[in-house]
Amino acid sequence: MKSSQFKTGLVLILLVSSFILIPVSAGAALNQTDFIVDNLQVHDIPYDDGSGLMLSWKPLPKERRIIEYRVYRGITPDSLFYIGRIDVNVKTGVPGDEMYFYDIDFNYFMDTQAPARLKREKQQPKESPLYQRYPRDARITGPQLKHYDILGVISEKDYYYKNQRFDKHAEDDTTTYAGLKVRNFSQMAKKLITDHEYYYTVLAVSESRKYYPHCEPVIGIPRENAPEKTKNLFPVYVQDLNRLQFEWSLPTFADDIYYHNIYILNRQDIETFNNYIRELQELEVNDIARKADSTLTALTPQYSNPAQLIYRRYSGYPYTPSRTVSVDVTDNRIIGPKVYKNLFTGEETTVDVPFQTDQFEDYYFVFSLYDAARYETFSDPVPAEVITSDQLPELPEFEIQDRKDDKGDYNIVRWGKPVVYLTNSSYLNEKKTRLLINYEYNTNENYKIRSIYFRVFDENGNEIKLINEFYQDLKISVKIPENTVLLNFEMTFKCSNPLPEDYVIRQQLYLDEITNSLLPDKVYLGNEDLKANEYYIYKRNYTDEEFRLSKKVAGTYRELDDNIRYENAHFKLVKEFDADKQLYLVSPSFSVKMDSTGENSIGSYLYRDLQEDRLKSYEKSLLEYKTSLDTLITEEEIAQAESAVEYYQNQIDQISNNPILQQAESYGSDRARIRYLDKVRHYAKNSFEYKIVKSNGKGYFSESTIHVREKPIALTPDNVYVAHLNGLGKDHFFPRSNWFKMQMLPALIASLIFGILVYVMIKKAKQGHDLYIRPIAGIQEIDNAIGRATEMGKPILFVPGLSSIGDVATLAGLAILSRVAKKAAEYDTRILVPVRDYIVLPIAQEIVKEAHYEAGRPDSYDRNSVFFITDAQFAFVAGVNGIMIREKTATNFYMGMFWAEALLMTETGSSTGAIQISGTDAVTQIPFFITTCDYTLIGEELYAASAYLAREPLQLGSLKAVDYFKLLILIFVISGTLLSTVHLTFLINSFPEK
Amino acid sequence: MKRQIPLIIVIGLGFVFVAHTFIPAKISVDFYEWWQTWSKAISPFAVVLGVMSLFMVHSTKITRKVSNWQYSAVTLGSLAITSLIGFVWGTQEGTPFMWLFKNIQMPMGATMFSLLAFHIASAAYKAFRARSLEATVLLLAACIVMLGQVPLGSQISKWIPETSQWILNVPNLAAKRAIALGVGLGMTATSLKILLGIERTYLGGGD
Repeated sequence: MKSSQFKTGLVLILLVSSFILIPVSAGAALNQTDFIVDNLQVHDIPYDDGSGLMLSWKPLPKERRIIEYRVYRGITPDSLFYIGRIDVNVKTGVPGDEMYFYDIDFNYFMDTQAPARLKREKQQPKESPLYQRYPRDARITGPQLKHYDILGVISEKDYYYKNQRFDKHAEDDTTTYAGLKVRNFSQMAKKLITDHEYYYTVLAVSESRKYYPHCEPVIGIPRENAPEKTKNLFPVYVQDLNRLQFEWSLPTFADDIYYHNIYILNRQDIETFNNYIRELQELEVNDIARKADSTLTALTPQYSNPAQLIYRRYSGYPYTPSRTVSVDVTDNRIIGPKVYKNLFTGEETTVDVPFQTDQFEDYYFVFSLYDAARYETFSDPVPAEVITSDQLPELPEFEIQDRKDDKGDYNIVRWGKPVVYLTNSSYLNEKKTRLLINYEYNTNENYKIRSIYFRVFDENGNEIKLINEFYQDLKISVKIPENTVLLNFEMTFKCSNPLPEDYVIRQQLYLDEITNSLLPDKVYLGNEDLKANEYYIYKRNYTDEEFRLSKKVAGTYRELDDNIRYENAHFKLVKEFDADKQLYLVSPSFSVKMDSTGENSIGSYLYRDLQEDRLKSYEKSLLEYKTSLDTLITEEEIAQAESAVEYYQNQIDQISNNPILQQAESYGSDRARIRYLDKVRHYAKNSFEYKIVKSNGKGYFSESTIHVREKPIALTPDNVYVAHLNGLGKDHFFPRSNWFKMQMLPALIASLIFGILVYVMIKKAKQGHDLYIRPIAGIQEIDNAIGRATEMGKPILFVPGLSSIGDVATLAGLAILSRVAKKAAEYDTRILVPVRDYIVLPIAQEIVKEAHYEAGRPDSYDRNSVFFITDAQFAFVAGVNGIMIREKTATNFYMGMFWAEALLMTETGSSTGAIQISGTDAVTQIPFFITTCDYTLIGEELYAASAYLAREPLQLGSLKAVDYFKLLILIFVISGTLLSTVHLTFLINSFPEK
Repeated sequence: MKRQIPLIIVIGLGFVFVAHTFIPAKISVDFYEWWQTWSKAISPFAVVLGVMSLFMVHSTKITRKVSNWQYSAVTLGSLAITSLIGFVWGTQEGTPFMWLFKNIQMPMGATMFSLLAFHIASAAYKAFRARSLEATVLLLAACIVMLGQVPLGSQISKWIPETSQWILNVPNLAAKRAIALGVGLGMTATSLKILLGIERTYLGGGD
């Protein structure tokens, strides 16, 4: 017998061992050259800022069983670092003849998870140029920094308080930096540098993770390109307002877009303009070609732009999208509000262009995107459409509110009155005389909807039905005549604030011949098609120069939750490093807000003395320029010097007189100074002013002014951080962090009532009042079940559910285990507790151990009786079922949370003839337990079991409190039902939905 | 002290997290996120406990040569081999570890799961025997619901799918919600008992 068992064991071990040999042996004796990636090419990405490359290669045939392609990049072909991979489904392979990998924008460069030291790629020969990711070691990665634009993302705390001051004393660089370890960066992201050479290679990895040889490295050079052409420009001339309005489509790639320009063009100049555009394109091609081949000669521009600038807007960096602008015409002239200066060319443009309103057909308009490399791309010239102001959409009043119940990351923009519209319909019977109609509605806090009234008319105008939707469940049903082809709906509201009597929304349902169903038509409020317009929400904070388009929403919306990201990181370029100290160096300066002109940034330094040094250096430069004015001769030199004097004087004034910087310097401690600046920065970044635009998307738009509150929000008087933010609470709105979630008020009240009930009941129980608890058969039988196991001399099995300790059902199960184990110890019956969760294991062990101690039988406690099987669901079942069959357990307890395994265990237990008691709060498993177990604790009985068994006043009191609380809930449920039936919804509306 | 310190931790943190439910302020949200990150760190340590328990239980069986000790040897062998393979070749897609997972553990799990169908049939047979009025009602309801889910039901009568839907949406849902309500209150009561230190069994022992 023993020999037979030994053989069985040996066979099983060999069987398991043999499995692992299969994957290892697979893939041997293959010709490796067949697995080298073919036709790797590197392409420049069009329309970008010169930082993008696209790799393409021919994927290997499906039969090669490739699981991934790994991509490597380097600045020389002899050291290439892993940068990313493309996973492949081995079974389907790659559809198509080419695979693509994009190396664009800022993406992963390094973080704390990068290898500590330089590591060769796996399975590569010693001479291989392939390495794993860039290591954290500054000696290796530091020299690479100059070949990329590296953006370090640093948490505020790390940037402010964990930096190490680093004064560079090199001949060409005496700058002071803030030095940070890799662990201080959340991440370092890289961007390729324009016109820089990069080498790429790709290797294939097989299904058995065999790394095949890489292909020959290929060179790629990202080139700066002109922005993409704007597809749509809609110029509109509003005759009676004497105003030009422009709307355009947004570009796909906008990283380096610097200006939005609008030009006016005379009809007779169109041909010259087209030639000019053609020439610009040729110049761009020539630029790129000359970079590749320096022997080529530069083209000389022949044409100048015949169009005249009428509007310019700064749009970056980072890009601030915008899609509408209006330009006023005064006395047949377009006059710009300011002198537009091109920061790249220094060219200044004063807009004063004639515009003969009686000859508007002679004018064409062009929109252009101008990037940081001075490339400009123009839209097609388009004539303006002439309209009158009554064709413009009517703009509703809007307001800004801080959203309640949040952590201070949302403002709410609210406008207009409620809308309702039909979305779909379906017949409820074959005769098509009953119709289910779905609807949607939108409103805001100002107009809380009490009822929506649907008045339904047939095609002849006869009223069919009036429906009062006092509870808006987004569907209504209507009885309609047979063969209905048209239904008219008039929808009105009863709201918390009164609406005008003529506020009626109309919509039709018409029979669609193709689908043979009634479909919703356009929605009208008066003459306005509600879905024809959209709302654009623009916003700007204290650190922005321009308004940015925050969100575009449908015309049926009535409010927008504007997310204001709680930014707690600094983004800094990393160009320098110190290999000895393993530091990566970033600038210690940071901006706080824009100045009152909205053109200059107010900033400071991490180190106080740098601020003073900057002031001294400006004063020195100012003095030098002022002195030079006496000696300069040419007008150009004098103008330059005067400009420098003005610049330095402004800078000195800004630093010396700025109240925020003055306040910061008044703090004695460096920490307090930084804390002050950081707080001001937060308020400045998170306080926004708003305006909205209502548009049909084609230049017919109405734009609001910046929202200003009549009654400004009162600010905390002693809040020094907002003292110098002008307009905060009036036109700038800061979302405040709330200290209580008002939505949870009913839950808090309920919890307090419940707590009081528990206290009262416990007190009663302690005073000796007899608290009746209905008998629960499953709990009463526990003692008998343990006794049965004792009589039979067989062990008890207790499964405390499969969930973690965080599940209350598991805690309830463990509480029952405590009672059962104690009883089992008293009877000297073995108890087996298989556990699925490792954290539950020591707790269960401790409970059983304590139970044995309490029963006075510490000697009978076997630590191995409470054991871990596995965390795999069905493997655990197999283990438990095996125990039931082998140990012939007399009694099985299943107390806790169970899923699909419940029936598998209880059916097996049933087949072994054990008495089974189960308890769970898993609604889906209760029927299985009832069917297969002798006794089942349903839902809450599981939680009551511990108290029931303990019979202690504390436990019984809480149990009784639950019963009373249930009674209270029942009263509310019945009252809510009755009140809702008579259209009184205040009770159900007073509870939150979730 | 062995009991008091854990009890203080549980009660203290319990109230902190109750407060978090009602406080949406950033400090509360940040604390909760910070805590969650740290709580994840406990799991790797607990795995060691699980593995130790597994090793002790099965090594005892092997050394004592209890009946069917060979299965324990296979268990420990599998544990050692799988861990070794995972450490040597990694656990990525395509590694031997993943091969073992896909070709041994997954089919075995699926096998166990597929047994469920037979057990459900067996359980249904037990449940649907019309031994009493309640069981007869259950049988009828089950027949209607089952027929309502398949095309045959609507072929027999158009009322079957509608009745089936009604059974699911009204009495069934009502019962489910009643249980859910009880469970919710039970959970709250248990949580409250733990918070107030009334329920201490999770600390070991009944008091």
